[in-house]
Amino acid sequence: MITAFAAEAADRVRGGVVHLRMGDACGGAGLVWPGGVVVTNAHVATARRVTLRLPDGSFVEGETVWRDPARDLAVVAAPGLARLPPVEPGDAGRVRPGSLVFAIGHPWGVRDAVSVGVFHRVGPIAPGMGVPDSIRRQAWVQAAVRLAPGNSGGPIADAEGRVIGVSAMIVGGLALAVPALEVEGLRR
Amino acid sequence: MSAPSGSLASLSEQLADAVAQSAGSVVAVHARPRLASSGVHWRDGVVVTTEATVKRLDGITVTLPDGARVEAALIGRDSGTDLALLRIPAGSMPVARLGDPSTLRPGHLVLALARLGDDGPRVAFGAVSATGGPWRSWKGGEIDRRLQSDVTLYPGFGGGPLVDVDGRVHGVNSGGLSRPFATTVTAATVDRIAGELLERGYIARGWLGIAMHPVRFNPGARERLGLGRDGGLVVLSVEPDAPAGRAGVLVGDVVTAIDGQPVESPEQVVDLLGGGAVGRVLALDLVRGGARARADVTVGERPRRAG
Repeated sequence: MITAFAAEAADRVRGGVVHLRMGDACGGAGLVWPGGVVVTNAHVATARRVTLRLPDGSFVEGETVWRDPARDLAVVAAPGLARLPPVEPGDAGRVRPGSLVFAIGHPWGVRDAVSVGVFHRVGPIAPGMGVPDSIRRQAWVQAAVRLAPGNSGGPIADAEGRVIGVSAMIVGGLALAVPALEVEGLRR
Repeated sequence: MSAPSGSLASLSEQLADAVAQSAGSVVAVHARPRLASSGVHWRDGVVVTTEATVKRLDGITVTLPDGARVEAALIGRDSGTDLALLRIPAGSMPVARLGDPSTLRPGHLVLALARLGDDGPRVAFGAVSATGGPWRSWKGGEIDRRLQSDVTLYPGFGGGPLVDVDGRVHGVNSGGLSRPFATTVTAATVDRIAGELLERGYIARGWLGIAMHPVRFNPGARERLGLGRDGGLVVLSVEPDAPAGRAGVLVGDVVTAIDGQPVESPEQVVDLLGGGAVGRVLALDLVRGGARARADVTVGERPRRAG
């Protein structure tokens, strides 16, 4: 009997999820990446100065040190991140269609909410969904997980709690995330 | 790895196994502009899809699980159950392995499968939210079981199968009949519609050729006529050259019973006019001009609209 369902795996990931706030909007999520920086979406980290709420409830001021709007990724540096447990990046290419995945984020400002679904695939978005070709043809982690504003920048993780993608947008109700291995590639 | 997480991982593996087992009979159907819809290889050479997404009659193609794109011919369609049938070359792929929808209970985990192109199956996941007996869709189709789930039918998921955790197919998901929960047309109904469409290319519906409206008798009239109930259906119009007219039914007649069963709403009559009713004789008890009368109507076949 699976009573805890995704709770245990979510607990492991949650320690590496921060809340980014820019003014009064519901903001977005960010991931403490190995190396002690926060990875989030470029459309979340839109300013140089960012307020981060850490998992222990404390607030720190961070600075956006890198942004790529075309890939919708950004990196935020802040003091104290090296003390936090980083997420474990995983390879979405090894996840089979139909496997359980979950998202953590702050949908509509509800902090650290978990939503569960299944993995579709990693690759380009299907034609006919109304997405410009330049975005459509990039590799996306695609999953049937319900996301809402505030999930951006948060993790899509597999059943073992490995982060396979950084949630970026919703197309046709589907969750689309930047593959975690692309973020890993940026570190090199 | 601790126990709860390990069992979650094994559940996840089982779901992926179920997808791997059933995705081999799921195809993409290209019968509308832009986005494809899904289909299930139901019998060898016969694909079932959702009727609402078949927007053209010619030039329909199907993408098989191996990525090959083949031409498909429309065998027939039924908007009442939101099903359409396509012919593809036989021996292309395995047929769906069917489950028994009566074994699904609210709370059981289920998957909705889809295919949008040559790039592998798509999956959504949820739980059965409601089951039940026979019902009639808002488009008039008779469906043998109610099967609804909280699975999200993403664009292109209509026409794909609802699959249990063992990879068995319990029916075809309908976007057109789904509001707000995902509705699955269950396997026995898909079988029945597929059989009828293969046999004659369309779904026959019984037809009397009269319009009716509920009325009530006053207690005096009811007593004088010796009626068991005070309700009936007054005939508002009789179509020329239609079964009821041929049997002598007139405007103003009140139908009080059919085959001895009291009728008080038009829906009760519609329930008697399923596909199997064509050719049957229905005994109509009538009140005409203050006296009781009777008409034996041979159920006809509803004329099909052009196109």
